[in-house]
Amino acid sequence: MNKESKIKEIWTAYLDKSFSITVPLAAILLAFLVSGIIMLIWGANPLEAYEALFAGAFGSPNAFATTLERTTPLIFTGLAVTLGYRCGFFNVGAEGQLYMGAIAAIWVGIMLPNLTGWILIPLAALASAFMGVLWISIPAFLKAKRGINEVLTTLLMNYIAIQYFEWEIRVDHFKEGVLDYYGNVPEWGFLNYFIGLKDPTQPYPKTPLLTDNTFMPSLKRLMELPFVENLFGNMVWYQEFVKVPAIGRMTLTPVLGLITAGLLFFLLFRTVTGYKARAVGINPAAAKFMGINVPNTLLTTALISGALGGLAGGMEVLGTQHRVIPNFLVSAGFDGIPVALIGGLHPFGALLSAVFFGALRAGSNRMQVVTTIPVAVVYIIQALAILFAIAGTTIDFQAILKKNRLKRAAAKKAALEAAHAGEGEASRV
Amino acid sequence: MTEPILRLENVRKTFPGVIANDQVYLDIRVGEIHALLGENGAGKSTLMNCLYGVYRPDGGKIFWKGKEVDIYQARDAIALGIGMVHQHFKLVPPLTVTENVVLGLPSKREPFLDVKTLDKEIGEIAKRYGFDIDPTAQIWQLPVGVQQRVEILKALYRKAELLILDEPTAVLTPQEVEELFSVLKNLTKMGLSIIFITHKLEEVMAVCDRVTVLRLGKVIDTVNTSDTSTRELAKMMVGREVFMTVNKPELVPGEVVLKLNAVSALDNRGLKAVNDISLEVRRNEILGIAGVDGNGQTELAEVVTGLRPATGGKVEILGKEATNRSPLEIMEMGVAYIPPDRQHTGLLMDFSITENLIGKSYYEEPISKKGVFQKDAVNTFTEKAIKDYDVRTPGPELKAKSLSGGNQQKVVLARELSSNPDLLVAAQPVRGLDVGATEYVHDRMVEARSKGAAILLISTELEEILSLSDRIAVMFEGKIMGILPGKNADIHEIGAMMAGVHQTESGTVVREAEKPL
Repeated sequence: MNKESKIKEIWTAYLDKSFSITVPLAAILLAFLVSGIIMLIWGANPLEAYEALFAGAFGSPNAFATTLERTTPLIFTGLAVTLGYRCGFFNVGAEGQLYMGAIAAIWVGIMLPNLTGWILIPLAALASAFMGVLWISIPAFLKAKRGINEVLTTLLMNYIAIQYFEWEIRVDHFKEGVLDYYGNVPEWGFLNYFIGLKDPTQPYPKTPLLTDNTFMPSLKRLMELPFVENLFGNMVWYQEFVKVPAIGRMTLTPVLGLITAGLLFFLLFRTVTGYKARAVGINPAAAKFMGINVPNTLLTTALISGALGGLAGGMEVLGTQHRVIPNFLVSAGFDGIPVALIGGLHPFGALLSAVFFGALRAGSNRMQVVTTIPVAVVYIIQALAILFAIAGTTIDFQAILKKNRLKRAAAKKAALEAAHAGEGEASRV
Repeated sequence: MTEPILRLENVRKTFPGVIANDQVYLDIRVGEIHALLGENGAGKSTLMNCLYGVYRPDGGKIFWKGKEVDIYQARDAIALGIGMVHQHFKLVPPLTVTENVVLGLPSKREPFLDVKTLDKEIGEIAKRYGFDIDPTAQIWQLPVGVQQRVEILKALYRKAELLILDEPTAVLTPQEVEELFSVLKNLTKMGLSIIFITHKLEEVMAVCDRVTVLRLGKVIDTVNTSDTSTRELAKMMVGREVFMTVNKPELVPGEVVLKLNAVSALDNRGLKAVNDISLEVRRNEILGIAGVDGNGQTELAEVVTGLRPATGGKVEILGKEATNRSPLEIMEMGVAYIPPDRQHTGLLMDFSITENLIGKSYYEEPISKKGVFQKDAVNTFTEKAIKDYDVRTPGPELKAKSLSGGNQQKVVLARELSSNPDLLVAAQPVRGLDVGATEYVHDRMVEARSKGAAILLISTELEEILSLSDRIAVMFEGKIMGILPGKNADIHEIGAMMAGVHQTESGTVVREAEKPL
């Protein structure tokens, strides 16, 4: 009995703690279930579709590399939204910060093509983070000092960023010695970086491909390091492994995303800065009573959130695309919001839900090719998962547990009373 | 004996995990004032909400004039003839008295409102019951006591035979309370029955015929007020003897800790809330600030703690200039603050108990070093605080909102007092607490006083002010009406000052408006 109650206690505590994980997981499962029913009605076999989806996301090194590529920007935007939300700053401007971060990385890459990668890559990443900060600074100041609703301002800043981005990639960027599309010698100036980044030799709006010293180190490059080669060079698995083309696409960026999530966890839950940010997020009035400078805390947190949003764009440029084209990342910034919400506004939760979203994106093409189910189904799954996750947060798990406990206690009491009554009658007879 | 107007038999109401009412028997006779007495959380309001159709009881029967009735919603209760006056009035400030009274009722000339006839009708009803109310006045223009009478009028207009008054005196000055009592006695003479919900014993003795005491959701007893005493009622209410006075050692006040010189400040609406206030609080001294809620007391506390800018005057703490410093700077000058609202400003309900306990020391060593929390130091600090302040919790990692009100306030006390402050500003420190927790908080405050703290106590409970304070200042409309010694203070004099009567040098009192120029 005692042992049993002890186990029950541990189980309850576990359920209670893991509740934040259980809800999103259940939401995702339910989303797959309901989407499956929709596919059935549509006349497709959902099991086949999900198999193709899974194979497209994790089935081969190539698929896995694609999943990683799709996941990385979502990790950063998800973290940006998570951090902002924790402080009561709802950053819906990750999209704009991402675009500006990508442009900043391109600037650095084009401006300083001769620097060595060890300096150039961090510099470009810093530049993208800085642009993100710059882009959120206006909404952040307005919110902190004037109390102006950040949802509106960050959202509107997105459109400015996107339009600026579109302009940048449509106006030729000239370099000395390079002729334009029509063979004319163009004028060149520093301002050119800010009014045009289009590759002049191309008819389509795209920026020039960056030189490979801006490429984020990949698994392939790691394996080809002389000392790694010396160590494993004569082993069969090594020779097989380096031949896999996908390892060239597995770069350091998802690892950096992982590290960033860890750092954010530390910041939020182990430092005074994070403590203040969360206090302000829960109740600014009470935070003020604790001597916390609410405007400054909001400002600091929002700026860090913006830096993360900018990094999302920088990482995509440095790690994956090395140039930008229109819609180079379809709404990865806006998707940071559902990533953060399904992730339970926890850095590690955001990490996991970014993988979920990334895998859906990566696998959807294969699903369409194999089963002719349109890619759009993926967005149905995504939307349902978000709806279920939000609905799940309204369940008061502790109240349910308590109710069950009371019910059991009442049943036990009733049973005991019945037994006593039985005894009484028996003794009377 | 005639049939009681209302009878409750074995009424029971439970919420998940809580039994709010159990085995409640109650009968209300025609024409009596029946007190429902109990501590906060004893189940008075739940019981009345069951009666008024807000909740459905889980078990038991309700008899109205001898007939069993089912009350599903407030409309049913009103139809029977039950009227309720809530503690927080449900009036629309910009509408007139008439408009408020008829609000929700069909007009005789739909879709038009026959205001003139209604004004007349309501004026007559008011006159019949002895209310001095102008039916055309807008609610916001009326004093609180009159607004309350509008609420009663609303019930009477709906032909109520039983009035339920939920803590009707909480918002009134002593004079207004007396007026209310005479109104109530008048109403019962005209055949109305009244249920008077309160936790104030003197009021029960002053105005009620019988009293039913509730404790932990159960009826302890129903007695005639003529056969009982406040002491006996208090014992029934809390289940043990309560000492109405706090044991406070005699101490000689020391150096001046807080000095206010002609301080003024605005409230949230930009109106003058604190008006030219000067006072001093010394070590080993409790200065109580009495006054009806909303006369600038909260604003004064916020000015002292740096949460609200002073628009004029000077604040000095231990001789150092502290006017309009940041809350953090003032905190570091040795000032602790118990905010008036535990739920919204005192604690972060979604923070763990640990995170709340370190709410004043989070940025200092050894709790954090270079901005990073030191786990061991935090744990040692929390364990000690939980033990020292007797916080009853299964674990420090639980959220603050899982604690009872009393334990929440203990967390606030632990956070504020563990640094041994020089000045403690306590605003409504026992609001909503039961007798046991109240005693605990008061003991801790007296202990802080003995350790050398100066305490500025702000409370709307006169009893609390009287039992704790060494000196009593009375605030009215942002001004201090006078400062009296706490010992043997004359409650009538304080009451007069709370209503705006000024204390002059010669000791006589003059009404603010009649003061010679």
